[in-house]
Amino acid sequence: MSRLRNSNLFQAWLVLVLATVFGTALAGIQSKLGPIIENNKIKETMERIPSLVLGEDQAEKTMRQKDFLAIEPRVIEIKKNGRTKFYTVYDALFKDGSMAGHVAKASGQGYADNIEVLLGLDAGAETITGLFILDQKETPGLGNRILEKPWRDQFLNKSSNKRLVVVKGKAGKAYEIDAISGATISSRAVTGIVNKTIADVKAQLIASRKSGTPKSKNGNIKETK
Amino acid sequence: MADQPTAFERFVQGILPENPVYRQLLGLCPTLAVTNGMKPAITMACSVAFVLLCANIVISLIRNLLKPHLRIVVFTLTIATFVTIADRFLAAYLFQMSKTLGPYIPLIIVNCLIICRCEVCASKQSVGTAASDAIGQAIGFGLALSSIAAVREILGTGMFFGMRVLPSAWPDWVIMVLPPGAFITLGLLLGFVNWIGIIKSRRSVND
Amino acid sequence: MSDTMKNSDPKDPTETAGLHVAPSPHIKNTGTDTQRMMIDVMIALLPIVLMSVYLFRLYAVKQLFICVIACLASEFLFVWMRGKAITLSDCSAAVTGIILALSLPGSAPWFVGVLASIVGIGIGKIIFGGLGMNIFNPAMVGRAFVMIAFAQLMGAGSYENMTGLVDAVSGATPLSALKFNGLTMDIAPLFWGKTNGSLGETSTAACLLGGLFLVIRKTASWQIPLSILLTVSVIAGITDITGSYSGVFLVHHLFGGALMFGAFFIATDPVTSPLTAKGKWYFGLGTGILIMVIRLFSGYPEGVMFAVLMMNAVTPLINRWTSPQPMGEA
Repeated sequence: MSRLRNSNLFQAWLVLVLATVFGTALAGIQSKLGPIIENNKIKETMERIPSLVLGEDQAEKTMRQKDFLAIEPRVIEIKKNGRTKFYTVYDALFKDGSMAGHVAKASGQGYADNIEVLLGLDAGAETITGLFILDQKETPGLGNRILEKPWRDQFLNKSSNKRLVVVKGKAGKAYEIDAISGATISSRAVTGIVNKTIADVKAQLIASRKSGTPKSKNGNIKETK
Repeated sequence: MADQPTAFERFVQGILPENPVYRQLLGLCPTLAVTNGMKPAITMACSVAFVLLCANIVISLIRNLLKPHLRIVVFTLTIATFVTIADRFLAAYLFQMSKTLGPYIPLIIVNCLIICRCEVCASKQSVGTAASDAIGQAIGFGLALSSIAAVREILGTGMFFGMRVLPSAWPDWVIMVLPPGAFITLGLLLGFVNWIGIIKSRRSVND
Repeated sequence: MSDTMKNSDPKDPTETAGLHVAPSPHIKNTGTDTQRMMIDVMIALLPIVLMSVYLFRLYAVKQLFICVIACLASEFLFVWMRGKAITLSDCSAAVTGIILALSLPGSAPWFVGVLASIVGIGIGKIIFGGLGMNIFNPAMVGRAFVMIAFAQLMGAGSYENMTGLVDAVSGATPLSALKFNGLTMDIAPLFWGKTNGSLGETSTAACLLGGLFLVIRKTASWQIPLSILLTVSVIAGITDITGSYSGVFLVHHLFGGALMFGAFFIATDPVTSPLTAKGKWYFGLGTGILIMVIRLFSGYPEGVMFAVLMMNAVTPLINRWTSPQPMGEA
C-alpha cells in the first residue's frame, strides 16, 4: 500500500482528476459554442457577398424585398508551375436560379502582413463588381487606407481582360488604379492580388459556366439560362 | 498563516499599492499589445478578471490537496481551462472583438499575473480571501490597462471608446496606436506612478 | 551633428584663483568645450540654412523658428523639472532645433516641429540624463517619432503637397521619384539643391561646404562621413552597374537624398558615435550599409535617419570592441 502511495501515478491523482473534470467541461462548452463560432465565421464572409456582386444600393434593395441571393461555396483548384493553389469561390444565384456573380476569396503579401480580400466578379467574370478587404495589418494612416471605400471603389466596373496597373498621381486610363499617396506598396499589393486572382480564376469560372450548372449541394437550384 | 493579509487587505492592495502592472510589472504582454483602444483593453481586462477569479477560487478550494512539486502543473491546467472557456465564449458572442484580440486571449495562459496570484495567495489562503484578492488584482489590472489605453486611443485616434472626443482638426498621432506608442506610454505612466510614490513617501517621512 | 557633448569644465583654469590640480593627462584644449563646438556647428550649418531659406522661403523660416524655439523651451522645461542647472547657454538645444528643422519637410504643420522638439529633447536626451548621456541623436529621435506619428505629413506624399506652393521646386523628392516612378533628374540640380526634399538635405554643395568646415576645424571626425560616403558609393555603384543605370542611380543616391546632410551633421554627433578612430570606421560602414538596405529593400525611399538611429544603438558595443588594449594585456 505504501508503495502505491509513493508511486508517481498516485501522486498525480489530483492532476488526473482535474484533467478529466476540466476536459469534460471544455468538451461540453465546445459542443455548445462550436456551432455558433462556425456560424460567425461563415456569416462574416457571406454577409458581404450580395453587395460585392450587386453593388451596395442594389444589394440593399434586394434585401428589402426579401429577395435573397442563394450563395454556394466551392473550391477552385489551380495548377500553376507545378504548384496547386486553392481558391474559395462563392457563386451568388438569384431566386430564379440565374447567376448573379461570383465572389473569390484571395490573399497575398502586403507591406506588413498577409492581406485577405473578397473580390466580386459579374456572372461572366468580365468586370469587377466589388472589392472588400477582409483582413490586413498595414500601417495605420498610410497602408490601411486600402480599407477606405473611395479607394476600393476604383476597382468597380474595371474590365477583367486587362491587367490593372498602379500609377502615382492621376489615374486616367481604364485599367489604371491610383496609388494611395505614401502607401504605394500596399496599393500595389492589393492590385496584385486582384490581378492574380482574376488570372487564376477567370478561365475556370467561364469553363464551369459553359459546362453547365455548378454542382449545387442541395441540388434544388438550377441555372436556367 | 498568522502573517497572511486579510481578505480586505488583499482586495485593497491589488488596486493600487500592489498594482499588477505599475507595481509588480506583471502581465506586460497584453498591457502592451491590446491597449491601442479602450474596447479591446476592457475586453482583455474582463477576460483576465474572469480567469483570475475562477483560477483563484479553484486553487484555493484544492489547496490542502496540492502536492508542492505538482502545484505548477495544477495551476497551468486550471488557468488553461478557464482561458479556453473565455476564448470560446468571446469567439461565439463577440466575434469581431475576438478577431481583434487575436492570439492575446489564448496567451492569457502565460500571463504571469494569474500564476503569481495562485502561488502567492490562492494556494495558501481561504476561498473568500482568494476571491477578494482576485477581484482586487483584476480591478488594478483593469485600471492600468484602461489608463494606458485611454492615453493611446485619445492621442492616436482622437477617439474614446470609438467615439470622437477631440475636434476633427486633431492630427492623429499614429505612432500611439502602433507598438512604439505602447512602450512610450507605459514608460511615461510608470514613471509618473513612481514619481507620485516618491512624493508620497517623502511626505510620510516629513510628517 | 554635435548637438550634445559632455560639458567639459567650462571654466578656464587661468581664470580661477589659486592652483589648478588635476590628474594626468595634463592636456587642456580650450577649443573643445561644448559651447565652442556648437558655435562651430552653427557656422557650418549657415550655408545650408541660407540655401533652404532661398529654396523654400517662408516655409524654411517658419520651420526653423518653430523648432529652435520649441527645442529651447523644452530643454528649459525638462532640465528645470529635473532640478538641474539650466544648460541653455551651451547652445546644444539650439543646434538640435536647427538640425531638426532642416530634416523636416517645409510643408509640415507647426505641431510636427513642436512635438518632434519635445520628444527629441525630452525622451531623446533629458530622460537619459541630459547632455552627453543620451544614446540616440535627439534630433533624430524627435524626427523618427513624428515620422511614424504623422506618416502622411512626413512621408513621400508630403513633399508633393508643396507642388505649386514654392516655385523653385516641385514634385516628389529625387529618391522617391526614382524608386517609385523610375524618374530621374540631371546632376546639376541634384548637386546645387534645386530639388524637393527636407529643408536642409537638397543642396549637396551647401552640405559639403559646411561639412568640410567642420572636418577642418576637427569639430567633426573625418572618418565617419568618409566611410559612410564610401560605403554608399560602393553599394550604389554595384547596384548601378548590375542594373545598367549608367551612373544615374549612383548620382541620385549620393546627391539626391539626405546622405550628405546625414553623413556630416547627424552621424558625426560625438556623443552618439564611437570614440576610437577604428570604431568610427565601423560606425560609418554600418550606417552606410543600413542606409542602402533601407533605401533599396524597404518601403521608405530614404533611410539615413533610421540607419543613424540603429547605429547609435550599437555604438556602446563598438566602443567596447574597439577600445585600445593597455600595453601588456592581451
